[in-house]
Amino acid sequence: MKIRWMILFFPAVSVIVLSLLVQHHAARAAAPQGALAAASVANAASVAAGPLTIPDTTLAINSDKPMSQRVVHYEIDAKYDAAQHTVNATEVLTYHNLTGQSLDHFPFHLYQNAFQPNSTFVREAKVAGNRDTGYDKWETKEYGSEDIKNLEVVGQGDLTSQIQYIQPDDANKDDKTVADVHLPKPVAAGDYVQFKIAFQTKFPETQARSGWKRDFVLGGQWFPKVGVWWHGAWNCHQYHATTEFFADFGVYDVKLTVPQYEVVGASGVKVSEVSAGNTKTLTYHGDDIHDFAWTASPRYKVKEDGVFQGQMGPVHMRILMQPAHWSQAERHEKILRESLEHFESWYGPYPYKTITLVDPEPDSAAGGMEYPTFITGDSSWFMPDGLYLPELVVEHEFGHQYWYGMVATNEFEDAWMDEGINSYTEVKVLDSILGKNTSIMNLAGATVGEREEQRLSYIRVADLDPIAEKAYDYYSYGSYGGITYGKTASVLVTLESVIGEDTMAKAMRAYFMKYRFTHPTKEDFLKTIEEVSGRDLRWYFNQAIYGSPVMDYAVLKVESFPVNWYDEKKDSGKKDDKETFYRSYVSLQRKGDFVMPVDVEVKFENGEKIREHWDGASRWTKFTYEKKSKVESAEIDPDYKIVIDRNDFNNSYTAEANRKPARKIENYWQFVTQWIGQALAWWAV
Amino acid sequence: MSEHKGLLSSGWSMVARNKRYIFWFYVLNVALARFGAAAFSNQVHEILDHSLLSDRLVHGFDLSVLIEMIARPEFGPTSASVGAATACAALFFFATALFLPGVLQGYASAYRLPREDFFRACGRNLWRFIRLLIVAGIVMGIAAAALFGLHGVLERKAAESTNELLLPEVRFAGLAVIFLVMAALRVRFDLAQADVVLSDQPAVRKSIGTAFRHTLQNPGRLLASYVVTTIFAAAVLVGGIFVWLNFVPPASVAGAVVVSQLTLLLLLIPRFWQRGVMVTYYLQHMVAPIVVQSFTPASVVPPVISQHGPTPVAPSTPPEPQAS
Repeated sequence: MKIRWMILFFPAVSVIVLSLLVQHHAARAAAPQGALAAASVANAASVAAGPLTIPDTTLAINSDKPMSQRVVHYEIDAKYDAAQHTVNATEVLTYHNLTGQSLDHFPFHLYQNAFQPNSTFVREAKVAGNRDTGYDKWETKEYGSEDIKNLEVVGQGDLTSQIQYIQPDDANKDDKTVADVHLPKPVAAGDYVQFKIAFQTKFPETQARSGWKRDFVLGGQWFPKVGVWWHGAWNCHQYHATTEFFADFGVYDVKLTVPQYEVVGASGVKVSEVSAGNTKTLTYHGDDIHDFAWTASPRYKVKEDGVFQGQMGPVHMRILMQPAHWSQAERHEKILRESLEHFESWYGPYPYKTITLVDPEPDSAAGGMEYPTFITGDSSWFMPDGLYLPELVVEHEFGHQYWYGMVATNEFEDAWMDEGINSYTEVKVLDSILGKNTSIMNLAGATVGEREEQRLSYIRVADLDPIAEKAYDYYSYGSYGGITYGKTASVLVTLESVIGEDTMAKAMRAYFMKYRFTHPTKEDFLKTIEEVSGRDLRWYFNQAIYGSPVMDYAVLKVESFPVNWYDEKKDSGKKDDKETFYRSYVSLQRKGDFVMPVDVEVKFENGEKIREHWDGASRWTKFTYEKKSKVESAEIDPDYKIVIDRNDFNNSYTAEANRKPARKIENYWQFVTQWIGQALAWWAV
Repeated sequence: MSEHKGLLSSGWSMVARNKRYIFWFYVLNVALARFGAAAFSNQVHEILDHSLLSDRLVHGFDLSVLIEMIARPEFGPTSASVGAATACAALFFFATALFLPGVLQGYASAYRLPREDFFRACGRNLWRFIRLLIVAGIVMGIAAAALFGLHGVLERKAAESTNELLLPEVRFAGLAVIFLVMAALRVRFDLAQADVVLSDQPAVRKSIGTAFRHTLQNPGRLLASYVVTTIFAAAVLVGGIFVWLNFVPPASVAGAVVVSQLTLLLLLIPRFWQRGVMVTYYLQHMVAPIVVQSFTPASVVPPVISQHGPTPVAPSTPPEPQAS
């Protein structure tokens, strides 16, 4: 019996061990499905059982070793109540103290508490504006909350009573978006600490790309999240109306229990799905990410057959579409694939195994948002082919995988480094994919390019704020948007005219490759450009990034007179015009305070063109010519490289008026005016 | 006027016989719009005429250039341009109210209405038309407010649905219903206008009552004719814009002017066609009961000019005594 048992036992153990090994290798090599569950759970279990550490898993990335310095490991077990729009969850946070000093307190973001009537977020939004709800009409159902029910520090006991709400940015005692916990025993440098938190999050009706709408939910910024130790201090800002987020890289293992009927999408890779009665539990794993978001809706239609062969391995594209937008699924996948191609080719590899694109609930405030490996688009049931709004949003949010996702700048303090740099690359990528002047719209003869759209958003608010401003210190939401997105994009496009487009492309790649999976500062970015270009660009950065001078160059006057004007006057009409010598003057003015050298093209009636260069240092300059031809036109920046000039109309002047463009516009206006008169008479008389 | 002839074809014949009215209304429409667009025009020329950037509006249509132009401080407040255009559109509306009685009179007339008779009809019915407009405004305003209110409620309900397409479906269906109801009201007041002018009816309320009674008796016929003419108008507008966008080169301002103005000229036709339909209906049904004892082809019957002004009498039988 014994021998027989041993004969059976050893082969059995061998088979189990072998199969586990095979599973482990298969999990690393193949798509992140099913088989990964065992490995992930085993890993998590070892973390819980053994000494504290941050896992070095690579299940969710196409790399055999971690790509970031992992500071945090979140293990969350969350149950979503679809009727109440609440999440009850436990969170185990393991923190690795890499700050080089002991830490005796830890601040946590409780972002959902922003959606309370007296929060700083709402106070600011009411005054300065916001992209979502008009807060005068805010209803209770739209409120959100995030309550820590219990907080225990392993080895230090229950510290729930130690939780204090703090307001590091303002004196608003009603703001509860940051909670601070003092530890009785400081965590020494290099040590680990583990928090066990029980919390409940109540989602608002979608606000700031988080919350519910009808039976849809987007779980963004939904769990207590520790701040970032940055430049010798905790960086954990309150949630402001214009701010986004900042967090450390790490590993996420998240279990989501949702009603059986829900279709779910989330950051990272899905490692298991287990049904139990009316619910199902999905487990997700993320490596080298700094946030975790998810969504659920019973009505998503899923397209998940797309695979992009990236530089580091295959990237599975999972697209969750609204049923009424299903015909646009190909369109979404196409722009996602093209964005991946461009970013990999221009800036660097996309290392993650998945990218989930969510087409969110219509009429929700959930469209156009980025989370690691998870983005939301924005579309409508009616979307003509020549209107590229879905493409614009998808490309933009995908771009954030680089500028925010991997190059994880501080979105509270340097919003321009994620939104602005991303808007710049958006201009480049969309111009390349959809055409320079048609990248937003090419419909019924009318065109709009992304470059112009960014510039227009900037010139509205050109003299309000500098780029280098904390996101919550801008004059208004409009200024925040126009400057961080529009001005930054325009400034970087204009910088190409100074250092060259190719050099700028090299600088962007160098910046990404050097600072991916870190938290660079604005100087890191600017110095990279200077290093790559080999030029001192402080004169430009001081004005464009740190200052708020406005650029406005103008052709002040163009005039031509016969050199012997007095004799010509006497002999008027007797001489051949081609033999007449003219003295021509082209006067330029720098009307703004922004000083920058510019090129000028002077065109003569005989077709001759002369290029001039003006350093722009003085307020005006004048070019004089003596030729047998009059000046026909003068144009500053004839190659349209300078995008930050506030007024493009006065950049050129033609000696003779060309009334055709105005007549064309006039005709549109005349048509509309006549039609309104007719329509009024149709119904009223 | 033969009863056997369809409303639409008879109305169309009237329009065809009196093309000059459309022409003059078109001239008025153009002239007033020209005034209305003058402020806009000056601002646009000021910014665009000497700038090379404006070329992007000629060879194609770069909307961002247009937006930037409107955003320029020297363009001035958009309210100035919009205000002037709206005022001139309103003027066209009042001019239509002023001259419409002459048009109705002309349509009812079997011969070319002399200019003095046209203007006499206009002057004689001006105050009546103003009263009609006020009543129509109140009735149609109340109806529109109620319908749009209900429409809003339905839209809000539809917006709660998880079926995204329900909202646009409700929206379009609701607008179609509102259009039909408003068109039905429009039919009644148009008929009242015809009655006021052609019966020389000083008591506007009686014309309204008569019109409402008649349209109740023939609820579908007039409405159907209005729907047909409206579809025609929509086709003209869509067709005109299609031709403008697809066949006129972007740089051809002259081509754009011709196509756009031709479209607007053609757009006037359906409304006058509706007027022709109303006059036809009036002559067929409201002047007197038609007793056909023996069929007599429609003949040119000279209008009877009453002491108070022109009153057309088409049928061979005497008109019903007018209630006073």
